[in-house]
Amino acid sequence: MRADDTSLSKNRIYFFAACIIALFTVYLIHLFNLQVVNEEVYQERATQVTQRSVPIYAQRGEIFDRHYDTPIVSNIDSFAIDVIPGEIPSGEKENIIKRLAEYLGLTVSEINRKIPPSYSDLYQPIEIKNGISLETITYLAEHLEDFPGVTWHSKPIRNYVEKETLAHVLGYVGDITREEIQVLYNQGYSYGSVLGKSGIEKQYDFLLRGKDGKEFRTVDVRGRRVGEAILEDEPPVLGSSIVLTIDRHIQRLCEKALGQRSGAIVVTKPATGEILALVSYPSFDPNLFYDTSNTEAFRQLSLNTQFPFLNRAIQSQYPPASAYKIIMTTAIVEEEVIPLNKTILCPGYLNYGDRVFRCHKQSGHGALALFSALAESCDVYYYTVGAEYLGIERIVDFSRRFGLGEPTGIDIPGEISGTLPSPSWVSKTYNSRWQGGDTVNMSIGQGYLGVTPIQMANVVSMIVNEGAVYKPHLLKEVRDPLTGDILEEIKPEILSTSAIRPSTFETVQKAMRQVITEGTARVVITTKATSVAGKTGTGEAGFDDRWHSWFVAYAPFEEDAKPEDRIVLVVLVEAANDWEWWGPKASNIILDGIFSDKTYEEVMGSLRAWYLRVENPGD
Amino acid sequence: MRSKSVFGFDLLLFIATIALVSIGIAFIFSSGVTSTGIVYSNEYIRQTVWALSGIGLLILFISFDYSFVRRLSLRIYLILIALLIFTLFIGRVVNGSRSWLGIWEFGIQPSEFCKIAVILFLAHILDKKNAQIKDVRYFVLYLGIVLFPMGLVLLQPDLGTASVFLPIALAMFFIAGARTRHILFIVFTGFLLVVLTMLPAYEIYLAKRTIPAVNLLTNTHLSVYLISGVAGICVLAISGYFFTKKSYFYWIAYFSVILMFALCGSFVFRKVLKEYQIMRLIVFLDPNVDARGAGWNIIQSVTAVGSGGLWGKGFLKGTQSHYRYIPQQSTDFIFSIISEEWGFAGVSIVFALFLIIIIRGIFIIRSTKDRFAGIAAAGIIMMIFFHFLVNVGMAISLMPVTGIPLFFLSYGGSSLWTVLISIGLLMSFYLRRFKV
Repeated sequence: MRADDTSLSKNRIYFFAACIIALFTVYLIHLFNLQVVNEEVYQERATQVTQRSVPIYAQRGEIFDRHYDTPIVSNIDSFAIDVIPGEIPSGEKENIIKRLAEYLGLTVSEINRKIPPSYSDLYQPIEIKNGISLETITYLAEHLEDFPGVTWHSKPIRNYVEKETLAHVLGYVGDITREEIQVLYNQGYSYGSVLGKSGIEKQYDFLLRGKDGKEFRTVDVRGRRVGEAILEDEPPVLGSSIVLTIDRHIQRLCEKALGQRSGAIVVTKPATGEILALVSYPSFDPNLFYDTSNTEAFRQLSLNTQFPFLNRAIQSQYPPASAYKIIMTTAIVEEEVIPLNKTILCPGYLNYGDRVFRCHKQSGHGALALFSALAESCDVYYYTVGAEYLGIERIVDFSRRFGLGEPTGIDIPGEISGTLPSPSWVSKTYNSRWQGGDTVNMSIGQGYLGVTPIQMANVVSMIVNEGAVYKPHLLKEVRDPLTGDILEEIKPEILSTSAIRPSTFETVQKAMRQVITEGTARVVITTKATSVAGKTGTGEAGFDDRWHSWFVAYAPFEEDAKPEDRIVLVVLVEAANDWEWWGPKASNIILDGIFSDKTYEEVMGSLRAWYLRVENPGD
Repeated sequence: MRSKSVFGFDLLLFIATIALVSIGIAFIFSSGVTSTGIVYSNEYIRQTVWALSGIGLLILFISFDYSFVRRLSLRIYLILIALLIFTLFIGRVVNGSRSWLGIWEFGIQPSEFCKIAVILFLAHILDKKNAQIKDVRYFVLYLGIVLFPMGLVLLQPDLGTASVFLPIALAMFFIAGARTRHILFIVFTGFLLVVLTMLPAYEIYLAKRTIPAVNLLTNTHLSVYLISGVAGICVLAISGYFFTKKSYFYWIAYFSVILMFALCGSFVFRKVLKEYQIMRLIVFLDPNVDARGAGWNIIQSVTAVGSGGLWGKGFLKGTQSHYRYIPQQSTDFIFSIISEEWGFAGVSIVFALFLIIIIRGIFIIRSTKDRFAGIAAAGIIMMIFFHFLVNVGMAISLMPVTGIPLFFLSYGGSSLWTVLISIGLLMSFYLRRFKV
């Protein structure tokens, strides 16, 4: 400090200046670091902030039947109308929404519910309605000035070409729900994804959905599109085409043969496990699910007491009744518990313990041996052999070898395993002891036993293949959606093999042939197109005048027939329908149609009117 | 040092001023243009009007002798104090502060002009009573001249503008010859006050663990004990010094008083400061604590500045600004746009222009024979520099967001007039530098 009071300290002024210049320098160095040294870091960040991606939805793959000629599930070009609330001039909002509502057939309140006032600053499109035709969009495009803030995007509709045909197999698709996205997020699903909800659509969603692309756009802070994107768009990858094992002609034939009767039909190729037809009635139209606003249709279907969503071929179990006798026959032959020619007398009933078990033929079959017993479906024979010769342990063991009580592993979701009872199962489930009468009942496929039609198809397949069962499957090939090249071909996969001797199966095959040639099915399996081996079944369902009507069969019977030409057929007509003994009759129509290459109408034309009135001689 | 000016007119200072104001108008225009090229704001026209009238004022202040202003300095000071009080009652609320006084469209912020009034009055006092500034009692008294209007601005509440008063006063005290220890006392107290105020929030948002010592601040009982303890040490040290005149008692008293002031002050601040004001300081330390809220401005601004690169994206071609990621682009964050569109090259030009103004100002302090002019010039330079430091620092995340304008460049009539009048005064000092 200088003593001079009138002038200022030079040192302090210089110090003051030095401080200022020092801080300037620090700032300039920092800015140099930001802008020159780390420029790229911040440029990348700036790009990130301003780039938003909008998904370009991949077209879902088409589904074909085994002929791969015309798709049975395709996509129809369609559009969804969006509103960008931020782009609607504030004064005109009411008018525009009113006009739009009128035009789309919605109410004003429906639209307002989708764009609440809190969204009025939003620059992101909000979907108002989907399933809009090209004509509507064209009109809108021509009158764009009347609809500021209204836009649209392509949103194809899934088209199930033949409506109710195959509905249970194909399933349906829908918009992904909040719960589903939580589970599936890591697999690349996002909001707005369309997801298979059941059947093939669900099972093979990963093949069908392809990969959504990304369209990048530069947006401002409110999400409004402001210019060309910096990043290049990622094109979507189309979903693969799927070829099913289903033969749509056989499927159609089976559906018509079943008609409007609750029940199920399964046709498979035993040599590969391919499913040629899978029918369940009643069915539903998967096209109904597309329109998300049409929840009424879904509600009605879910409340229907006939459960149209239920795939009766794999999701419903029934007592196999006399059809079970083919398993019993296999056990009897394999275990040699009784000579094939030894007869048992059927007086029409069997006293067992303190109960009386009746044969379906009240007057009795008289004395018969195994082949006749199967052909005539004599209950007393099987009661006796089952309860007194085989015993419950061996019956359960053979049932298990045939795959009962286990799911078949068919490649659509929701299959049930049926019920294979055993003494330990009864004590666990009902806390009661296995009675001798339970064995008697089980010997003719009644009681606790429950099987699905697809399980019965596997039972027959094992007999046809003499010990091997291939996993029943619906997927045949995966194909490139553009070139049609086969990307993947599904090879037959052995589900189970059994150590039962081939000669045993040959005996059972002959016995099953006799059912058709001399037995209960003689009057009803009239087709000349092929030789059939099979078994009828009439299951108790608690009614006096109606029963579950089974028919399980394979054809052609001839031993020199090529294995790949053979088919297995299982028909189940529920007791809910009026009693027509329709199981074998439908089978006859189907077998005739398949092997003489006729349509349902042609087959019916050749059958005489009396045929449909043929009465069940009893089984 | 020889003057580069002709006829005593500081041409360099004038040109730098005009250049900065012009750049300001250009970027205010830029901030009002959307990415599609639509001009949606007429702020640049208003700013031009303010600039032209402001330059008129500048020339007016050059043209008459500043001693006239000096004679009126007490009255100007009192009028502005009155206006500030007036503002507290009938002022218009903008951005949460009752800081505007105005009729219809036309409005001014008295707090801006008040800075000039304080500078002039303080310079006047410091010149007249030049020897007394070394006396601690006068030091406190003069400090009161600044703290009173500062308090009024704090009540608005406008923390940013209020924070400018103290550095201005300290710079003037320093140049006027105040004792360094007195100035450092204020600096230390202020620094400690901020740290102690922030500690509890720091514990919650950044440390994310319990710091036991912070309990001393947040627990009322413990705080009372702490403050009484420190106060006791003060009393002991002061009385010790009083009786023994030992210098170590002086220093113990010095630091314990600082601690006590800071403790009491932080206690009051935590009660008075609002959550968002605390958050501004927290996000300064780490913007990502609240990236979408309080930290948004910092993150977007730094991104804009950094992405400008060496040469910038070009005038009107900034993306972050035109896509409106940066808020308050024409006022608080004008520097971000300049940096984004003109890059480091443009920033260097702006820095150079500011540096010219400040160096010329320093030169005026050096060359004037009038103590009043020298001290006032120091105040003006500090005002311009501090605004620059805080505003630019905020845009590049070296300073917390306080919302004070960047002189010459930011949109706003009051701040532009304030700085142009200040430059007018500087040039008037220069013109009359040989006059005592």
